[in-house]
Amino acid sequence: MDDVTRRLLQRIVRRIPSQMLRPMLEKWGRLQQKQLGSIDFSLPKIAITEHLLSICQEKGWGTKHITELELLYVIDNPNVGLWHAFQLVDPEDDALMVEMMQFKEQFKSNLNKLVQNVSIKFKKHTDEAIWIRLAWGESFSKPNHFTPTFVVHHLQSSYVFMNNVNSKKKPLLYQALVLATRYQSIKHANLSGRKLHGIRDLLMKQYEQVFPSKFPSHIPERTEDKEKANNPLIEREQSASSSNRLQLACEAFGEGKLPEIQSAVYRLETKFRGQSKNMAQSKEPFKCVVTFSSTNLLESLRNCASSGIASTPVVPSATHVTYICGCVYGLSAHPFSRVRFGTWGVTPKGTLQTSAQSYPFSVFAVENRRRRRSHPE
Amino acid sequence: MALLKPFSKLPSLHASSILLVENEELFQQSLANALVAEAGVTVNVRLAKNLPLPLENEDKRPRIDLVVFVMNLTSELSFQSTEASLKYLDPGFFLGKVCFMVTNARNATVPSGRLDSVRKLAASLQCPLLFAEDQSPDGVANAAERLLTILKVSAGFVPTITALYLSNLTRCTVPPDIDQLSFE
Repeated sequence: MDDVTRRLLQRIVRRIPSQMLRPMLEKWGRLQQKQLGSIDFSLPKIAITEHLLSICQEKGWGTKHITELELLYVIDNPNVGLWHAFQLVDPEDDALMVEMMQFKEQFKSNLNKLVQNVSIKFKKHTDEAIWIRLAWGESFSKPNHFTPTFVVHHLQSSYVFMNNVNSKKKPLLYQALVLATRYQSIKHANLSGRKLHGIRDLLMKQYEQVFPSKFPSHIPERTEDKEKANNPLIEREQSASSSNRLQLACEAFGEGKLPEIQSAVYRLETKFRGQSKNMAQSKEPFKCVVTFSSTNLLESLRNCASSGIASTPVVPSATHVTYICGCVYGLSAHPFSRVRFGTWGVTPKGTLQTSAQSYPFSVFAVENRRRRRSHPE
Repeated sequence: MALLKPFSKLPSLHASSILLVENEELFQQSLANALVAEAGVTVNVRLAKNLPLPLENEDKRPRIDLVVFVMNLTSELSFQSTEASLKYLDPGFFLGKVCFMVTNARNATVPSGRLDSVRKLAASLQCPLLFAEDQSPDGVANAAERLLTILKVSAGFVPTITALYLSNLTRCTVPPDIDQLSFE
């Protein structure tokens, strides 16, 4: 058994957490019950790896089979690395009728024509998504299985998600995808994140949407409120205003679970309104870049509005992420001083922390782009 | 101005009321649960984000025995909101019926001037300043116990002590060299 296979198996077994190891091997399906039973999962991973290696050697399995196991694991836990979302544009007439076998064959043949020595693996997931695992190799070397690229495409939708694509191979991959899906070109959908399910739900609108209504009367009851109501000795004085804030926040962001986005970047052109004479006198608009980042950005923005840190009704630009579905926006001549975000200020490096909520977020580096031109202030 | 007055209503029998004012509305909930769980004394807990309190509740509100301002030292907004709320308290409250509670004092990101300004505020109003740890259940229970001690005195359950006397013993003081920089 060659070295690459051995190292690959070791890497995969190390990556899969101990509790998941047995279910993953069962899902893989290649081990018989007897063999699976003979592995003692309470031993340290090195011992389990040795046992698996000996089984693989007996059966004569190679890299091909082990990469299946890796693909299965990544399908269940896709939150490694940064995922980028792409959109296919300009469909040809039969773009919607591409079905899986056709896509597979086309993609394989196209990619093999463009690049030699690439190892491709397909898997169809239950929710109509095709997962592709690619290991790239140079002209005369074998594919490198240690830095695979993962591509997820939902058939009949125009979205593709990619992880870990080498920039040199990008155009080749785009070409192969475009030809196989019968579209004319592909472009970046302006959305990236660490959690695949988050960006997929956002882009494909698979979360609880909010629809504007003229007479919103439903105030959502959260479980915490129900607990509080149980104890008659505890009473909130300002319950009317807090439920009002909660309702406005839910109107802007929806009530249910929100897709997990990690960052949003706003490019602003605005005018400074304040006491400082130097800044206010300049006639050119003040250009800056504001980045919001968090473990779950939309949830923290909703929390901001419902806890009163941000003034309600929510400013439309805060809900851009859900409507426009992107990560980078440009805003111009926005009356920024009207948005009260606690102690907000256009400072060179401002950090704003929400008060120990479950989803804190911070604002980084409001850069003044003008400084780069070495313009004397 | 809608001032909250300490003595304008009659006290309720065998019961006491405490008002927890906190801008973030987080710690006050766990404190409230710990306070009402106390056997022996019936504690009515009122929770607010800031003062002034809404006028609609004026009739149903019992007489408040103790007002506790909870501040999170990591947030400047917390301190500013507390300062703004202080204006809506009748001066009669400051004779032992107000207490300050501070969380997150051990956090490294807190600027050193903030704790000093909180201390100065508490000392100028001659109120006790308590430090609490809000993340663990032990910390919450501890803080609730200390609040209960002060509450029992303010509500008149302890025979020989009044709130004013207790506050004289427990009030916050600032050392005379507080404005000098400390070298750590």
